Amino acid sequence: MNFLRLKGWFSGRYDFRELARLAKEKTRTLRRFDFGAVTRFLIALQFVTGMTLAFYYVPHPDFAHKSIIDIVTKLNMGWFFRSFHHWGAQLALLFLFIHLFGTLLTKSYRNHREFVWFTGFILLGISIFFGLSGYLLLWDDRALAGVKVATGGVKALPVIGGFLMAFLRGGIDVTGETLTRFYAFHVSLLPLATLFLVSLHVNIRKKEKSRTGFFLFGQGNAHAPILNQKLYHDLIVWLLVLGAVATLAVFLPPEIGIKADLLAPTPENIKPEWYFLFVFQTLKLFPGQIFGLNGEVIAILLIATAMAILFLLPLIDKKSSRGEPSPLFTWVGIAYIAYIMIMTIVGYLS
Amino acid sequence: MKIDYSLITRRRFLNTLFGGWGAAFFAGIIYAVGKFAYPTLGKEPDFVVLKAADYLDIPPNTTKLFAWGGNPGLFFKKADGAVMTLKGVCTHMECNVTYKPAERKFFCACHKGWFDEKGKNIAGPPPKPLEILVYTIEGEKLIVAKKGVKVELPKA
Repeated sequence: MNFLRLKGWFSGRYDFRELARLAKEKTRTLRRFDFGAVTRFLIALQFVTGMTLAFYYVPHPDFAHKSIIDIVTKLNMGWFFRSFHHWGAQLALLFLFIHLFGTLLTKSYRNHREFVWFTGFILLGISIFFGLSGYLLLWDDRALAGVKVATGGVKALPVIGGFLMAFLRGGIDVTGETLTRFYAFHVSLLPLATLFLVSLHVNIRKKEKSRTGFFLFGQGNAHAPILNQKLYHDLIVWLLVLGAVATLAVFLPPEIGIKADLLAPTPENIKPEWYFLFVFQTLKLFPGQIFGLNGEVIAILLIATAMAILFLLPLIDKKSSRGEPSPLFTWVGIAYIAYIMIMTIVGYLS
Repeated sequence: MKIDYSLITRRRFLNTLFGGWGAAFFAGIIYAVGKFAYPTLGKEPDFVVLKAADYLDIPPNTTKLFAWGGNPGLFFKKADGAVMTLKGVCTHMECNVTYKPAERKFFCACHKGWFDEKGKNIAGPPPKPLEILVYTIEGEKLIVAKKGVKVELPKA
């Protein structure tokens, strides 16, 4: 059977032409560097490396730590896949933050694109939870302390706090139960949610195409078909990013601490992952007691409120949605970005 | 189609019926899955029984760990020889604390919290003193209990 006959056989059963027509019709804004597309590429790579790691990883408190050491020491290319998964995650989060900041500054959430902002914001939350759950899977001393603090912080939320914390931990304390739970989140719940939300995020903006943002070609109105013009532009950048991740993975393999011990004291000079540093640093600012109230609860409530305001920004910023200039919210955006960046740097240096 | 003396059409009746079926079905699933996914909560122990000989002879100005549920408990002998037991969990964000013999203080590395020899919070973010546990010695047994809990050992 030659190729044409095979093609004929398939198109008699499945309407490929319709699919090809759809693909040709879809257009996107051309950018020199599309942070959203880069993140999507990195997430796809995380799926691949994650699935291969899941072949060997054992989600049990007695074996988890050892199975990772086995992956990096005994398996073919194991060190590379583990390191790549780590660095892919770091860069995906970094590009996600840049993507968010860019959207915030250019107010790309306006013009009926509120849902793009909402889904993107939830995806950032999911990605951070991806980071936290993946971090615990290492099951070393630092991961244990980090997850204790992160899940403990949830408790300070009013009404649902205690319930949510027990749900996350699988009990009242961080134990082996938490490990299996976080494994389930990391390999099944979060990936499914990510697939669903990413497909919403990229397809939801039918009505008004984004004409804002950075690194635009021409006057910023250049819409190009996804196949192949947009794709080829993305491929150039993806190749660079792939090279960056692989280089980092080879030269800076992430360390593995000593196996987690529920009774051992917290290791000294412990610091959370960089994407938690601004929260960590904020918590350090608050004293134990403020006017007789628990300082930690106040700190967590303030952070949660700030996040909620950021999430609802497209609804609050009415001027932008009417197409008028809204300098106030430019400054609000700058304030958010400056706070997160400064606190991250202070946390890193202190 | 609507019969003259009927209040609603047949279509609406059927939509309501099957809509209700769907709602009940999904509510049942969500309830069951939620119930299963939410863990059965263990609880902090009221007391633990340890071997007295393992703990009483530790040198002054040191601590020895024991398991208080999934958390560390600390058997602490002060520099002057006085003994106390406490839960080695920081009151700020539940990190495990450690005793620093040189400073004679308890230290939490997570957010740099300090507690004095009596477990009182003296520096950093912790809002409350460390939880003091009560210990009693019965023959060879060292019984560490929560404050105010009546210890009833099973009769062997």
